[in-house]
Amino acid sequence: MKKFYGPLVAAAAILLLSACSVRSDAADLYKQEAPLQILMDVPEEIVPGETAMLEAKLMQNGESVKEANFVHFEILKQDGSIPYPMKEAQEVGEGVYQMEVNFRSDGLYFLEVHAGSGDAISNPHYQFIVGELSDSELESLKEGPGPDAGSSGHHH
Amino acid sequence: MGNEERNKSAAIKTKQAKGGQFYKSVWRWHLYAGVVFAPLLVLLAITGSVYLFKAEIENVLYADYYEVQAQEERVAISEQLSEVNRLYPEGIVTAYRPGENESRSSEVKVEADGMSMTVFIDPYTGLSLGELNNDDRIMDKIEEIHGELMAGTLGDRIVELAASWAVVLIVTGLFLWFPKKMNGAGGVLFPRLRQGPKIRRRDLHAVPAFWLSAGLLFLIMTGLPWSGFWGTNFQAMVTNTGEGYPPSVWVGDAPKSDVETQDIAEVPWAAETLDVPLSSVQGLVPLSLDKVVEIADQEGIHPAYSVFIPQEPEGVYTLSVFPPKAQDEATMHIDQYSGAVLADYRYDNYGVIGKVVAWGITLHKGSQFGLINQLISLFICLGIVFVAVSGVYLWWKRKPKKGMGAPKAPPLFQTKSFLLLMIVLGLLFPLAGLSMVIVWLFDKLVIQRLPAVKKWLNA
Repeated sequence: MKKFYGPLVAAAAILLLSACSVRSDAADLYKQEAPLQILMDVPEEIVPGETAMLEAKLMQNGESVKEANFVHFEILKQDGSIPYPMKEAQEVGEGVYQMEVNFRSDGLYFLEVHAGSGDAISNPHYQFIVGELSDSELESLKEGPGPDAGSSGHHH
Repeated sequence: MGNEERNKSAAIKTKQAKGGQFYKSVWRWHLYAGVVFAPLLVLLAITGSVYLFKAEIENVLYADYYEVQAQEERVAISEQLSEVNRLYPEGIVTAYRPGENESRSSEVKVEADGMSMTVFIDPYTGLSLGELNNDDRIMDKIEEIHGELMAGTLGDRIVELAASWAVVLIVTGLFLWFPKKMNGAGGVLFPRLRQGPKIRRRDLHAVPAFWLSAGLLFLIMTGLPWSGFWGTNFQAMVTNTGEGYPPSVWVGDAPKSDVETQDIAEVPWAAETLDVPLSSVQGLVPLSLDKVVEIADQEGIHPAYSVFIPQEPEGVYTLSVFPPKAQDEATMHIDQYSGAVLADYRYDNYGVIGKVVAWGITLHKGSQFGLINQLISLFICLGIVFVAVSGVYLWWKRKPKKGMGAPKAPPLFQTKSFLLLMIVLGLLFPLAGLSMVIVWLFDKLVIQRLPAVKKWLNA
């Protein structure tokens, strides 16, 4: 009779303590997406009046995307004062797409990249500064890009 | 009748001589488990009956919050959020629900002052229709009783214990119900109402219980997957095999944004001066919720979805919807900086077991087939109440004045078949198994040493 006692308690204890958790690679067993990853390269300092080179490198499944369906750059100024048209960026190899822009005035800007490859679409928003910031732009920075920031009020 | 009773008991006695020890053990455990868990099962059945009609009840209770007059143009979500921000300047917005049709308000979940509130917004005016503290919602309370007796993790484990023991009650009950010899369908398939009160009492418990057992077992097995211990482990195990829910739908983590942290724009918080170097405000900024809803509409997701808003820089927007029908379920993760779809799990992407569990859950909630589903489930719930009450009544009438009236069972290890049955059940439902071990130890170490208690319990 005693011989049952140990194993029974042990079995119960093991079952209760060996709480399972989801393996970190479990997602590989299910439907996978191939998200389009975009690495943006905007110069840290841009002087108004000079030409700046804006770049985006497209990656998918760990490889550079050489023939994307489309790569469009769109530049917006935070106060909405200067509308730039959306333009197709030039591929320069290794999945890097670029565009030269001449900024005429100081301020807080956004670069929006619209890119598609396969079924994946990606649309990152990059915030950057040209020259000096105005007081109202500093103010808007402090409010921060909350969940309703970014392209709020702007529709495609 | 006297003769018949005597014949019957004589017949039972000969039976007991053979399988008697097994029968007694089964009876004893069925009785004790029944008496202990009957009140809980009644509570679960009653709260479950009400919860079946959650949607209908809330539609009436919250009509003023839910219904809006459809108009041509909707207000941008960012404007709806500024209304919430005006009401709760310090609140943290955690989720947004656009509303499943033209005349449904949108909902914003906001955490403020330690409370979890839902603000209902008219999407055509951008104005608040009112707000509810989620703790005050009566159906949430009922769900909390049904799921955890309003007692957190402990309550969750107790409910799970009751559910597991209900399986033990079904299995042991079926053994007790199973006719010893074929004597017609009376007392087996239909109750014998005119053969005296004792037989009537027994049949009014055993016969309906037999008929209900399949339905009850179904409700237990479909309810267990969302219990805290059995359910979480079961879900994790199944997800790991590739045949369950994909990770993050029920258990497991959502993918993270694949953006490098240093590429994210920092937010300067200081009121007077920028306290971060200007270069660090250069970087990726989160997408607007408007954009996320636009993506959701493009991807064709069931319109009752909610968007969960990332609270960490590397977090993602999670769109999730568990509509009435399992086939419409969806969970989608969207990168908060690029809008790239990182994962998109629909019902079709669930593994086989995941699909079965999803159906089980919508059937359990009574939503899969609408009214007919609700009525069948309601019938089972009311049946559970009847069987629990008739069982306790049966015991109360049968029991001697002094003592529980349970048959004296042989020591556990002398009936191998019964021990095996309990071990199997204990392994399938570890919480019940653990409680069996505890009961057994308690009996060995305490009850057997206290003559009065031992006598009362007939241990």
